Amino acid sequence: MVLKNLTMALVGLTFSLSLAARAEDVTVFAAASLTNALNEIGTQFTAKTGDRIQASYAASSALAKQIEQGAPAQIFASADLKWMDYLADKKLIVADSLVNLLGNSLVLVAPANSVLKAQQITPKTDIAALAGPGRIATGDPDSVPVGLYFRQAMERSGQWQAVEPKLARAESVRAALALVERGEAPLGVVYATDAAVSSKVKVVGLFPDSMHDVIVYPFALVAGHESAASHAFLDYLRSNDAKTIWTKYGFRLN
Amino acid sequence: MLTVCVRSRLGSFQLDATLNAGSGVTALFGPSGSGKTSLINMVAGLCRPDEGRIVIDDRVLFDAKAGIDVPPEQRRLGYVFQEPRLFPHLSVRSNLKFGWNRVSVAERTVDFAAVVEMLGIDHLLDRRPAGLSGGEKSRVAIGRALLASPRILLMDEPLASLDSSRKAEVLPFVADLAKRFAIPILYVSHAMDEVLRLADTLVLMAEGQIAAAGPTEEILSRGDLCPLTGHGEVGTVLSASVDHHDDENGVTALSFSGGTLLVGRIDSPPGAAVRLRIHARDVALATEPPRQVSIRNILAVRIVSVTTTLDRQVEIKLDCGGAVIRSQITALAQSHLRLTPGMQAFALLEAVTVARGDIVDRPAGHR
Amino acid sequence: MLTLTPLEIEALRLSLLVSCCAVVGSLPLGIVCAWILARLDFPGKGLFDGIIHLPLVLPPVVVGYFLLVVLGRRGVIGSLLLHWFDFSLAFTWKGAAIASAVIAFPLMVRPVRLSLEGVDPGLEQAARTLGCGPLRTFLTVTLPLIAPGLLTGLILGFARSLSEFGATITFVSNIPGETRTLPIALYSLTQVPGGDEAALRLCLISVALAFAALLAVDILARRIQARMKA
Repeated sequence: MVLKNLTMALVGLTFSLSLAARAEDVTVFAAASLTNALNEIGTQFTAKTGDRIQASYAASSALAKQIEQGAPAQIFASADLKWMDYLADKKLIVADSLVNLLGNSLVLVAPANSVLKAQQITPKTDIAALAGPGRIATGDPDSVPVGLYFRQAMERSGQWQAVEPKLARAESVRAALALVERGEAPLGVVYATDAAVSSKVKVVGLFPDSMHDVIVYPFALVAGHESAASHAFLDYLRSNDAKTIWTKYGFRLN
Repeated sequence: MLTVCVRSRLGSFQLDATLNAGSGVTALFGPSGSGKTSLINMVAGLCRPDEGRIVIDDRVLFDAKAGIDVPPEQRRLGYVFQEPRLFPHLSVRSNLKFGWNRVSVAERTVDFAAVVEMLGIDHLLDRRPAGLSGGEKSRVAIGRALLASPRILLMDEPLASLDSSRKAEVLPFVADLAKRFAIPILYVSHAMDEVLRLADTLVLMAEGQIAAAGPTEEILSRGDLCPLTGHGEVGTVLSASVDHHDDENGVTALSFSGGTLLVGRIDSPPGAAVRLRIHARDVALATEPPRQVSIRNILAVRIVSVTTTLDRQVEIKLDCGGAVIRSQITALAQSHLRLTPGMQAFALLEAVTVARGDIVDRPAGHR
Repeated sequence: MLTLTPLEIEALRLSLLVSCCAVVGSLPLGIVCAWILARLDFPGKGLFDGIIHLPLVLPPVVVGYFLLVVLGRRGVIGSLLLHWFDFSLAFTWKGAAIASAVIAFPLMVRPVRLSLEGVDPGLEQAARTLGCGPLRTFLTVTLPLIAPGLLTGLILGFARSLSEFGATITFVSNIPGETRTLPIALYSLTQVPGGDEAALRLCLISVALAFAALLAVDILARRIQARMKA
């Protein structure tokens, strides 16, 4: 009796394993700010096709470095053009798969219980003063896209000298968000989409687009790791179903 | 003057001790485990008795009822342990001065140079303990305790870890110490030869109790205490003084209450007090004055008691001018002599059978 | 290749500052804990021992997170510090020093404890009879005798502090000049394309520091041994 049950279980296991083996995995390296939206799109994709999405979220700079060193990513979604171009220059991208899919805006956030009031941000707004004695959390302005955009905004409004020493450099935009959520930093600079998914921070101001380069999210296939499933997923990311989700999370569509 | 009266539960037995220790050397003698070390640890403050009182020179060191327990560092005692316990990271000089530095100049009663000279450790001052021999370490340990200007010096079998030649080297220093530096000494030992050499007062301990306490000769002469003193055999301890020396014949005449005794030439000057040990087996008896015998020491005695012991031996207690001398003869001999209490007789102590090791120089100043 | 950029000099300076403060600051407490473990016996001693050694077996990031929970601005103690003294450890080298100190603590306690266990209590008794109170005895007799153990503890603690990463980056993040120590600077460089050469330089500096520390302890230990024997 026991032996019979055991055999049945073994057969069933092998069957389902082989089923799973027929489904493909798609490895995606995506900017941290895409976390929630991309996860949801991926779940939808899996439901429809059976192929699973393995997503790795981090700062675009870190991901670019990993791809350069041969990480088995199949799709790369960067938060700025700089890092996509970096890989393109090294011929690591399938050039004709490149698509500038999304846009975003930069916001100033504070912990939910902060006394700061929402205001208009202009080039004249003294960001350093708003932070008071505390620090401003954002991605590392030397490499992380959100930090790079913020740096441009500050340099162009002549505030970089004042702001730079007050920065708390986080390794990704989500890490910066966490610092503000925890109240460790009284201010943070993240994307509008990040502020939207967090209930522990509130938006204190929106950076006008004119203050920095346009925020663009280029998507592309990584050279040498193409598969039918990865092609399918990249197409899916541009589909109407996906667009609904992108918009839901607050991303702009190009 | 040290007064101790303590009671304490120690493991398997109860320690119950009352003693007074005045000037000179008071020896605490007894078998291992009789509570001697525990007792002086209590005096030193390293061990706390359950009840009792410890007073020195009118200063109360411990009083269970009054809740007084002075910590060891404030008791102004010196303690020489069984192991030298020299501080390995300090030089000999620094070791010696360790307690010395803790005492204010006004309170110092001991002179550094005098101690160093007495102990013969001048050439060791800049060395480290690790390089010293056992005997040298012991001497430094004694010096260190002494230089703390203690009110009383406690010594717990300080020579126990030394072999006999080292012991012979250091023992004179301890004897000298008692003489030179008028500091009372409480000396724990289970070696009779040390006690004979050093002790003015003897306190016998067994199983946590004090069996007897008193002047050394007196205690050692008591037959009933023989099991405790562990002589192994019956004997007599007498005090005598040097009468004169006969250099031509190489003998010294010692006089005591019962007469004169001749011994091999010793170094002590005339008038010096000595302590004699006479094994009972070395005392032969005669009922008539012996003639033409080689033995030089013949004393007129009166028989006090005759006791037959096991082993066909007979112990005879003799009175010799007030001094008690013990003799041991075979039952066979007794059957011939038929000695009875009250009889006059003659005791023969062969001059050379009183073993040299048993003749000890006792410190002057005995009561 | 061998000249250091300001970034690297800063990371080196910070690492040395943080590690020295961590080790020197926690040494007294380390000695106390070692003494308690070596000399005392009480119910719960095993638990006490376990708590002290916890940072040795927990992932450093967990320790860092715990520090955040307790000492962060919203933490149990951190919020009090902020409220009363307007003092916060976040993003400061002091916070980094605390993170290092906690991680290195068990490595310091262990050799000191072993050394203490090797000290003959009879020597301490002797010192007491010679007029030294308990504290004085500890300073003049015990401490010199445990010097080799102390030294080993200090060096091990220092080396561990130098290499501390997980707890530091979790607790006080990565602030150049404040918390970007050598390991963290190295990590940052590996995250950025083009940082490899600088990363290699930092790597070599770390190795050199570690060797220097080991050499120092070896020489000092020998000197102490020699002094005892003379």
